[in-house]
Amino acid sequence: MRNPITSVRLKSVLEQLATPFVSVLLAFAIGSIVIWAVGYDPILAWTSLLKGAFGDARRLGDTMLRATPLIFTGLAVAYGFRAGLFNIGAEGQLFLGGLSAAWLGLLVVDLPRGIGIAIMLVAGALAGAAWAFIPALLKARVGAHEVITTMMFTFIGRYLVSYLVTGPLKAEGQIPQTVKLAPETMIPKFSETFGIDFGRAHWGFVIGIAVCVLMWWILKYTTTGYEARAVGFNQWAAETGGVSVSRTIIKSLCISGALAGLAGVVEVIGVQGRLFDQFSSGFGFTGIAVALLARNNPLGVIAAAILFGALSAGAGTMQLEADVPQKVIFIIQALVIFFVAADQIAKWVLSPFKRKGAENA
Amino acid sequence: MLSDIITPDLFAAAVRIATPLALAAIGGTICERSGIVNIALEGMMLVGAFAGVVGALATGSAWFGVLCAILAGALLALIHAFASINLRTDQVVSGTAINILALGLTGFFMEVIYGHPGTTDSAPRLMPVFNISGPTEGVLGTIWTWINGVFLSFTPIVYIAIFIAIFGQWALFHTRWGLRLRALGEHPRAADTVGISVVRGRYSAVLMSGALGGLAGANLTLEQVGSFTEDMTNGRGFIALAANIFGRWTPGGSYLASLLFGFADALQIKLQLFRDVIKIPSQFFLMLPYVLTVVVLAGVVGRAVAPAAVGKPYEKG
Repeated sequence: MRNPITSVRLKSVLEQLATPFVSVLLAFAIGSIVIWAVGYDPILAWTSLLKGAFGDARRLGDTMLRATPLIFTGLAVAYGFRAGLFNIGAEGQLFLGGLSAAWLGLLVVDLPRGIGIAIMLVAGALAGAAWAFIPALLKARVGAHEVITTMMFTFIGRYLVSYLVTGPLKAEGQIPQTVKLAPETMIPKFSETFGIDFGRAHWGFVIGIAVCVLMWWILKYTTTGYEARAVGFNQWAAETGGVSVSRTIIKSLCISGALAGLAGVVEVIGVQGRLFDQFSSGFGFTGIAVALLARNNPLGVIAAAILFGALSAGAGTMQLEADVPQKVIFIIQALVIFFVAADQIAKWVLSPFKRKGAENA
Repeated sequence: MLSDIITPDLFAAAVRIATPLALAAIGGTICERSGIVNIALEGMMLVGAFAGVVGALATGSAWFGVLCAILAGALLALIHAFASINLRTDQVVSGTAINILALGLTGFFMEVIYGHPGTTDSAPRLMPVFNISGPTEGVLGTIWTWINGVFLSFTPIVYIAIFIAIFGQWALFHTRWGLRLRALGEHPRAADTVGISVVRGRYSAVLMSGALGGLAGANLTLEQVGSFTEDMTNGRGFIALAANIFGRWTPGGSYLASLLFGFADALQIKLQLFRDVIKIPSQFFLMLPYVLTVVVLAGVVGRAVAPAAVGKPYEKG
């Protein structure tokens, strides 16, 4: 006999997964129509995309590489959402995290590798949190909308980095970038550890998964997490229940900023080895899509980030083999966000199945 | 030195740079006054910029390009309206999706139509409206250079934007349309009760903002640059949102705020020429609009109060 509790649990987990799953399918279906309408072969496009993302160890590595910053930014946005805050400025916090790593990386070179990396991760998280602090304070004190303020801080942060890499922190030479970090201060690559060619994939991917699990636990089992969820669910009820709303807003947005800061750190000490103007290809913004697809569940973030990582890793092969312009993956991303947000559409698609399920029961 | 910096073309550049910001900002004003947040102005501008070039290149007429840009912006806005009004999707999320969609659509169709990523060929452009020759010598010459430079040197959409700002300011506060629009954003239920259709009112406001965003894009490609480059709006839609807040949700204020941001940018470009004398990095000037916006939002220079019902889906009770 089945345990009724587990069965109810399983059913609710499946129900939670159904909407995102249908949303992704719908996004690919519309993407297929677009591709077909302009004269390409959608089947060939998606199979070559799959091959490009998972075809061999190197390509799998590329998917993991591209998923890594998205795990952190997706988690950052998701955590904010749980507290009712839309941290659209993860990109800016990421730049500040990257900045701190690019600078500290030069100083920790004599420390043991693990300690150096730990210092850079903590410092980068603090830098990201600091960049979210003023928007958080303004939100809590005068109600300034975080969508505008964190966005403004993204521009300010990007210009700050642009100034530093062309001026005070610029390495010798023509290109505006910081000094390349020594390999022994960087996060080890999977290829070094396992002796298999995983391309440029690195242990930041695993750190990301660990941080997701940690945040899942924090949200579920700690006071900090409880307060964040309470404020996100209903501010007035939370306040009545004894939760300080303004303190929780500040804390939650800073935690979100810290997670985005980590994304910048792992990009610098995992991949680039230095900071320059364009070191992020909009990871902070793609993080929004990741969070929405994951329905703000930290564990879901892992899967959603891998999906988006795979899309971007496979796009090159798709263009090469099926001739379909890579930019179609942005269209897919936008559609995924759309269908997850407008979940009535997915629910409507699912409704015949649900009724059938109810009849069988 | 100072007379080398403060020249007619500095002010002319400020007005030119301000134009797309102002058009989009006024679009944001109208949209938010109706109660719908529109962070998709960036995407609407981008799609407008692209559609403008496609239309102009296909027909050889820049004005046809402008029409395409307006329609493309409005079409994208239609998605936002449907999601926000009918599906009651979170408006910021819908806006985010539309921005990404615009990036994807323009990049995708760029390769489909022109066979390569990056930048399109040069499209036919809109030329300056006036072309009057005046005195060049003496005091009269200086005065004429200033008048011509600051007021008479512009392309059509620049003047259209000024007209929209003035007309919009009047219409928002002195017409029935304006009163109804403001009612939708402040108290939709009250508006509904006295027989104003919330759905229709909000749809028309969102579509108008999309059209203005598209027109802003047309100004970028068909008047300023002459061709389309991927992601060329480069955050202008967000600066426009800031200008709308800075201008306290009024068309005239939006225009003036855009002008201030445009001036900061024009000054920054100008000062690059004097890099050896003036040692302020250009990035700090570029930061200025964003810092100013945060300062305004912080309530340091008066309070910025958004329409009360902005961002909240309306359900007929």
